[in-house]
Amino acid sequence: MKQFMFLFKGGDDVWDAKSPEEQNAHMEKWMQWIGQMAEQEKYVGGERLYPAVKNIHPGGTKVTDRSFAEAKELVGGYIIVLAETIDEATEMAKGCPGLQWESSVEVREVWPEDV
Amino acid sequence: MKEFLMLIRGGQEKYNSVSPEDMQKHMEHWQQWMGGLAKEEKLVGGQPLMNEGNTMTEGGKKVTDRPFAEGKELVGGYLLIKANSLDEATEIAKGCPSFEYDCSVEVREIAPMA
Repeated sequence: MKQFMFLFKGGDDVWDAKSPEEQNAHMEKWMQWIGQMAEQEKYVGGERLYPAVKNIHPGGTKVTDRSFAEAKELVGGYIIVLAETIDEATEMAKGCPGLQWESSVEVREVWPEDV
Repeated sequence: MKEFLMLIRGGQEKYNSVSPEDMQKHMEHWQQWMGGLAKEEKLVGGQPLMNEGNTMTEGGKKVTDRPFAEGKELVGGYLLIKANSLDEATEIAKGCPSFEYDCSVEVREIAPMA
């Protein structure tokens, strides 16, 4: 099986507009979704990110507080999963609860090891 | 110590245009840099990504067969490191060899899942 990265982007406005109860209920859906993949031994790992950004520009010296990505595409978290093909990984990603809160999901194959 | 994610963006054009020898040299720089971080016990993990991808929008109903991000925004890899603060993580990230290939590095602090 290959590894794929799901990059979760945007949806921050929707999240911020919800009540703590709604946010908790939403996080439970995330935990269920990830838990199901873990049960099938398809979940490798992942993290959620704070919104603060330090962006080091090309050249390696200039630092700004803004991502090169637009606000609606700010990465809010990622997970790594196992799948046979990118199509299978994409089918798995369709279950992501963030999609219901206006996030998008970018599915990318991890570069095979030993290159 | 806290954990931080480095999102390495851009540089694909240059990566695609260099000679195998230059690429090998560049990879050696990566190994040296990551080896140094590992020695200091600041390296958690990291992987490069292939350029192709799918993007899901509109609640998952719409699938586009490419990453939405292009050029300088395209994420080409990530690294997880340990540091005491976002500023310290940023200083560490300034040593990333990806700057040899016109990349930028976005540094983000890991948050608790729930």
